[in-house]
Amino acid sequence: MIDSLGFLILLIFLGSLVGFAFFGDRWPVFFRPLPGYEELGNELERAVESGDRIHLSLGTGPLSGFESAPTFAGLAILAKIASSTMMSDKPLIVSTGDGATTTLAQDTLYSAYRNAGAESRYTSTYARMLGPTPFSYVAGIPALLSQEEVAVHILTGSFGIEGALAADFGRREGVFVLAGTEDVQAQALLYATADYPMIGEEIFAGGAYLDVGVFHKASLRSQDVVRLVIVAIILFGVLLRTAGIVP
Amino acid sequence: MRFRGNVFGASVAFIVGVIVLLGYFFTSPLLGGVDIRQLLIQWAAIIAAAALFLGLINLFTVHWNKVNDQTQGWPYSAVLIFFFLVTIVLGVIFGPDFEVMNLLFNYIQLPIEAGLIALLAITLAYAGFRFISHRKDVFSVVFVSTALLVLMGNSPWLLGSDSTLAALMANLRAWIVQVWSVAGARGIILGVALGATTTGLRVILGADRPYGD
Repeated sequence: MIDSLGFLILLIFLGSLVGFAFFGDRWPVFFRPLPGYEELGNELERAVESGDRIHLSLGTGPLSGFESAPTFAGLAILAKIASSTMMSDKPLIVSTGDGATTTLAQDTLYSAYRNAGAESRYTSTYARMLGPTPFSYVAGIPALLSQEEVAVHILTGSFGIEGALAADFGRREGVFVLAGTEDVQAQALLYATADYPMIGEEIFAGGAYLDVGVFHKASLRSQDVVRLVIVAIILFGVLLRTAGIVP
Repeated sequence: MRFRGNVFGASVAFIVGVIVLLGYFFTSPLLGGVDIRQLLIQWAAIIAAAALFLGLINLFTVHWNKVNDQTQGWPYSAVLIFFFLVTIVLGVIFGPDFEVMNLLFNYIQLPIEAGLIALLAITLAYAGFRFISHRKDVFSVVFVSTALLVLMGNSPWLLGSDSTLAALMANLRAWIVQVWSVAGARGIILGVALGATTTGLRVILGADRPYGD
């Protein structure tokens, strides 16, 4: 049994993603300004120049299931941030609440150091698991922020309500807090507790705004294409039902 | 785009990703009577469980280094290492149902995590006040007003719980939650789903390689 409509949308998604990645330069577009990512760029430069530490949290969610998507989005920007901060006196620190995510974060960090020819500066504890449960993870955040003298606190991964505490601990330390997750309820809490909350799919736009690669910019464009297709399908369904053609 | 480096890892990610993804749309192929998609998902769960052990070793190493280097806050790390070892030894020897294990969970871990959840309520109330004082715009007023209206419509009142005003607030809460909130949440969820799909496709295509280059 084939889910025809879902498969058709997937094909449109895949085609537009690959198409924009290879031919997107022919039709340049401008992305709307997202204050969080714009300010993050400035904060990263300032932190490197002043020798301050940057902390990136990949959340507490597991790598299996829907919760893995924001974690992968966070891993995508991890390499970019790591490569721009590895020569700092206090290199980037990554924390997670999941063992598998910790392993991937270590791999990503190591790759970034190796590609920059700075393998000797890499230490496996730059990526660390603070705790195996959401609240044990959050309990470790205040000590990490104060002991490691963190100045930039980035939360980009899967969080539940504990994400609000993680963001608020950063605000209490007076550091820059950029936070986003996939969970709608947690997004509402982050809206109140973070300096720069990322709402909706903004968490997945980090790669495009931080210039990670052409596929990240193509992702935003393909999302808009598929969004328009889905809106058209929804409106068509509304019209059919209003006209009484479908029950 | 880089297509060098860990070709083997990228190939495995591509093949496994395609099989699992297509399993949502087509009947999954069988290999010797076994559903390949389900088999791969089970393997992923087993690997994730093994990775938890690696994470715990990482946790131990971080705190061991802190104690060893006598860095700021090292006594807390020493306490963590002590209870880490005690819990593991008891768990391995007597099993997770051992009475002392239950005591450790019920009287140490559970109260601490419950305390953090309680702290969250205070934190959010404080964040609400700070939010409206720092961000003086229409969105902050709407955000905090909506939160207050929903709270008033959802909570028992000290006086006049049976009044017309209380009933009005309950209806207002229901209208906000069932109409505006659901509509907004569906829009956000649609955006998140689109973002999650492109993220997954990038990993399958090898454009993102979280397993290292």
